[in-house]
Amino acid sequence: MKKMLLTGVLLALSGAGAVKVGVLLPLSGPSSVSGQAARNGYLLALDEINKAGGVLGKPLELEIADDGSAPAKAVPEFVKLVTVDKVDFMAGGVSSATSIAISGPAKQYNTFMAWIGAAAVPVEDAFADHKYFFHYHPWSYYNFEAILSYFKTLKTQRKAKNIAIAYEDGPFGSAGINDTIAAFKKAGFNVVMSEKFKTGSGNFGPIISKAKAAKPDIFYWVGYDTDALPLATEIKQQNLKVGLVYGTPPSWPVGFEKNPLSENMAGLSLWLPSSPQAESRKFVAAYRKKFGNVTEEYFAPLAYVNLKTLAAAINKAGSTDKDKVAAALAETNTPTPFGPLTFSRSNKTQYQGFKAGNWLHFQFQGDSRVPVYPIKFAQKPMVWNK
Amino acid sequence: MDLFFQTLLNGLLQSGIYALVASGLALAVGVVGIVNFAHGEFLMIGAFLAWGLSSYLGVDPLLSLPLAAVAVFAVGALTYRVSIRHVLLAPELNQMLLTFGLGILLQNLALMLLGGNTRTVTTSYQGSSLSLGELSVGGPKAVAFGLAVAILAGLYGVLYRTNLGRQMRAVAQNRRGSQLIGINVDRVYLIAFGVACALAAVAGVLVAVLLFASPTVGLVFALKAFAIIVMAGLGNLTGVLWASVVLGVSEALVQTYVPGGGGWSDAVFFLLIFATLVFRSFRGAR
Repeated sequence: MKKMLLTGVLLALSGAGAVKVGVLLPLSGPSSVSGQAARNGYLLALDEINKAGGVLGKPLELEIADDGSAPAKAVPEFVKLVTVDKVDFMAGGVSSATSIAISGPAKQYNTFMAWIGAAAVPVEDAFADHKYFFHYHPWSYYNFEAILSYFKTLKTQRKAKNIAIAYEDGPFGSAGINDTIAAFKKAGFNVVMSEKFKTGSGNFGPIISKAKAAKPDIFYWVGYDTDALPLATEIKQQNLKVGLVYGTPPSWPVGFEKNPLSENMAGLSLWLPSSPQAESRKFVAAYRKKFGNVTEEYFAPLAYVNLKTLAAAINKAGSTDKDKVAAALAETNTPTPFGPLTFSRSNKTQYQGFKAGNWLHFQFQGDSRVPVYPIKFAQKPMVWNK
Repeated sequence: MDLFFQTLLNGLLQSGIYALVASGLALAVGVVGIVNFAHGEFLMIGAFLAWGLSSYLGVDPLLSLPLAAVAVFAVGALTYRVSIRHVLLAPELNQMLLTFGLGILLQNLALMLLGGNTRTVTTSYQGSSLSLGELSVGGPKAVAFGLAVAILAGLYGVLYRTNLGRQMRAVAQNRRGSQLIGINVDRVYLIAFGVACALAAVAGVLVAVLLFASPTVGLVFALKAFAIIVMAGLGNLTGVLWASVVLGVSEALVQTYVPGGGGWSDAVFFLLIFATLVFRSFRGAR
């Protein structure tokens, strides 16, 4: 108790010159569920970091800004954090579109970026030559590698052959869609439909009508949480008979699992609260203590890991010098709720954290998300509706 | 052939929601003479009311329709009293700036009070549908379409069969003249603006059932509503339904039959506005 009090007094006295981390998140707009979850993860990590003595003997400070899931809002917010608030490091980032938009100023100001989201390959292209870009979230080709592996299992076990694809027309859904289709074909699937949609429009009638005519075994959609319910509604209303509806939004709508229309819809997650790892259990307990509930969104633990590892690297570097912190962060090897975190090269960037092996496939079954694949993590058998 | 008829049906059903949103906007433009850029935010309030009543009190969204309408009528009337009435004689640009700012204010208030999360409601009839052979008619969208027709018919009836309606038409035609013959113009404006907001809330309740509630949910529909009232002719209530059907069916046809059409559906309404304006100016020039 005395030690904590002393730490608090010392931190308060040394408040001036605190290390500042700017956090740019979509707290509103189509990616807001992920952004809100991430904000809680950052706040939890901030509490723990400052209780443990802060960084470099000073309290860590967060400047959280809302990018509104919109590039036009993200750029001025980013520039303000870097030039007016003069943050030492930038963290956050969920949407690919906003991340591409800020890649210009990030390079202009040579900003240190510890980035949790933005899976689209154009983001990887945009930051390929940026020496301070640490990407925690798997790139979309890692996501797809995990999805393809699962679908190949369905092809063997359930004779799944025909895939219908619906994808949002922004960078998240559209970038690499041709490669996705080619990879499905190469794996022996028939891509019987591939249709764009506007995220948030809620107008899925025509797409589901086309899917119905194409008779797929798997309906695969890439969009945001705002699309989940209207899509599920239209699938039910038009009675689309399909073995599996599989979606990859970064987050799902709050309370979606309670809606009967979500039943048996499947998706991808880096983490679920039921994950058995010790770090995950610790995170869940700490999250519940601070917020009184538990989130199912993996962006909360991802943000938590992001700030904790960044703070550890600053302490290890012994200064806020970007080169020293980058060298320290590059050597990260720590257990996390997702499994061990280390950084290695991706196709184009130098520091990539989690990869394909970290993904879980789950299905909404009876009011919750149940891991169904890989088999060693499965808690219940997958429901195939054909 | 089934796909073609299902596409027409999809477009027709979608147009119900569009008509519901546009009817309020058309009333505000037609009677009060103000383009309310905050119309989508009144829809958002209706959506959040439906979500709140459903989540915390277990009230079915369809039962919350009248409550949302009354509550948002009050909010609309208050908005008129506090802000709109003071700019009625101001230049149009000032009026637009006011309602645009009002929209931003309401959106950010919702963000502060409720957060940016997408909220959904759960009802037993969300996935319900009626089968007509190979075609299916979604229950909530059919309700929305029926409601839109009923509301537009009701509005038409009020405007042409009641004393209040006559006053509204008189005020819309000549504000000064209406004052001279003893019509309480301010009261008529307040009622018209309140009813317009209430109609947005009714649409919002159905949007909560069909899609979700979020601080930004109104924007998509408000843009489409603007397209519809331009197509219908500013303030023309009877044209709203037909313009909504044209927009809904055009979008559905583009989505189904144009390669990559889903990405073009938002361009459809811009194209329709463009075509309408060109056609009107061409006809006017003759």
